[in-house]
Amino acid sequence: MKWIELIQVAGATLVAAVTVVVLYSVGVRFTAIAGDPEQATPRWMKSLAYVCFGLCGLAVLFGLYLIIPYFSK
Amino acid sequence: MVALVIALALFFDFTNGFHDTANAMATPIATGAIKPKTAVALAAVLNLVGAFLSTEVAKTVSGGIIKEGSDGIQITPDIIFAGLMGAILWNMITWLKGLPSSSSHALFGGLIGAAIAGIGIHSVNFESLMQKVILPAIFAPLIAAGVAYICTRLAYALTSRHDPETGSKLTQKRGGFRTGQIFTSSLVALAHGTNDAQKTMGIITLVLIAAGTQQPGSGPQFWVIAACAFAIAIGTYAGGWRIIRTMGSGLTDVKPAQGFAAESSTASAILASSHLGFALSTTQVASGSVIGSGLGRKGTSVRWGTAGRIAIGWLFTLPAAGIVGALTALLVKTGVVGVLIAAVAGTSAVLFMFFQSRKSHVGHHNAVEVEEAGQAVRFRKKKAMAASRANKSKGVQ
Repeated sequence: MKWIELIQVAGATLVAAVTVVVLYSVGVRFTAIAGDPEQATPRWMKSLAYVCFGLCGLAVLFGLYLIIPYFSK
Repeated sequence: MVALVIALALFFDFTNGFHDTANAMATPIATGAIKPKTAVALAAVLNLVGAFLSTEVAKTVSGGIIKEGSDGIQITPDIIFAGLMGAILWNMITWLKGLPSSSSHALFGGLIGAAIAGIGIHSVNFESLMQKVILPAIFAPLIAAGVAYICTRLAYALTSRHDPETGSKLTQKRGGFRTGQIFTSSLVALAHGTNDAQKTMGIITLVLIAAGTQQPGSGPQFWVIAACAFAIAIGTYAGGWRIIRTMGSGLTDVKPAQGFAAESSTASAILASSHLGFALSTTQVASGSVIGSGLGRKGTSVRWGTAGRIAIGWLFTLPAAGIVGALTALLVKTGVVGVLIAAVAGTSAVLFMFFQSRKSHVGHHNAVEVEEAGQAVRFRKKKAMAASRANKSKGVQ
């Protein structure tokens, strides 16, 4: 039986999905904080949000890099 | 016979495409992240690209389920013809019922049935069947649901803000996830192209090898890749609206953050499994993710009735496609007349189902209703939505 593969797939799925979702959610949250109208929020909040989105994008690109055999060969 | 099988294989690719549009595009359509027409166009393009990107596993289609090769049984075009017939008919039936079912299972079922009827029960490798089809079928939805549940929880926990005046910011949050959905669903569509188009390429290559027009052990030829890529893209663009409705609003009410979590899980699961060599069905992963994300968000209910109907559809996929495949194989065995009868019967069955779908007017092509469902999820109160859904499901039945 391929139990090892099964666990590997489950683990990889969990790690990949959680990475993307956490990064994106944190980015969304920072965007929301930066958009607060009343209190003056530091400018780095906004940049931090973009950093999160960027990292999330990188994670996705890394995933693509893995599935396309042309690159990973 | 070879030309007939190739035509049939391309048609199977087409049904595969429109059957599986829902996997990638049901949740973004339901949340209104992408307009329905744009969504299917995007999915079609990405499927096309995906089909060209990877052809590595194209020749491992039947994957040892039917014993082939020098010491085993030679698969003939007849068997493949019968198997494809079973797969196509089952895809059409499930589409008519709006059930997301695995196209690859239909293909396996059809081929297994055809092999049993055409060659004998000894031609099927049951251990391989268990490992490659049955076990993944049980675990794919479970893994996807579990991961989607955790992701949905995380997404909501991380973005929930305990400020009394968050009313205006709520829209902002969702806007962010809606944009994200465009990317995650694109990823699912791309992954689908790299996975599913290859099955048909493998089938056609198998036929060409069996007919002696191609060297054994060589990869798919370029025209085969191109034809399959376009067949699946056109199929995707045709859009299985019935299945999109089931996945997008039939299982649970999808919100952007939830859809984002579900699609991330689906994409990760498909990519992880195809990379690590434990093939999971795209459809089953996507359905599992939607259910899992429904469980993860507070205040949502999963409609287990619909989920149950889908699960029953999965149970029947292998045997049903197998029976059609077996019957076709028996017909084909009788000779040219049998092939003709099978081809005519198959075509008329497909046409019959197509007209049947037209008659019940729920409009697989009717994008507006799907869009309305998306708006309902966003704006309307639960009661109004339940009522409208009840009407719709009455229409579908």
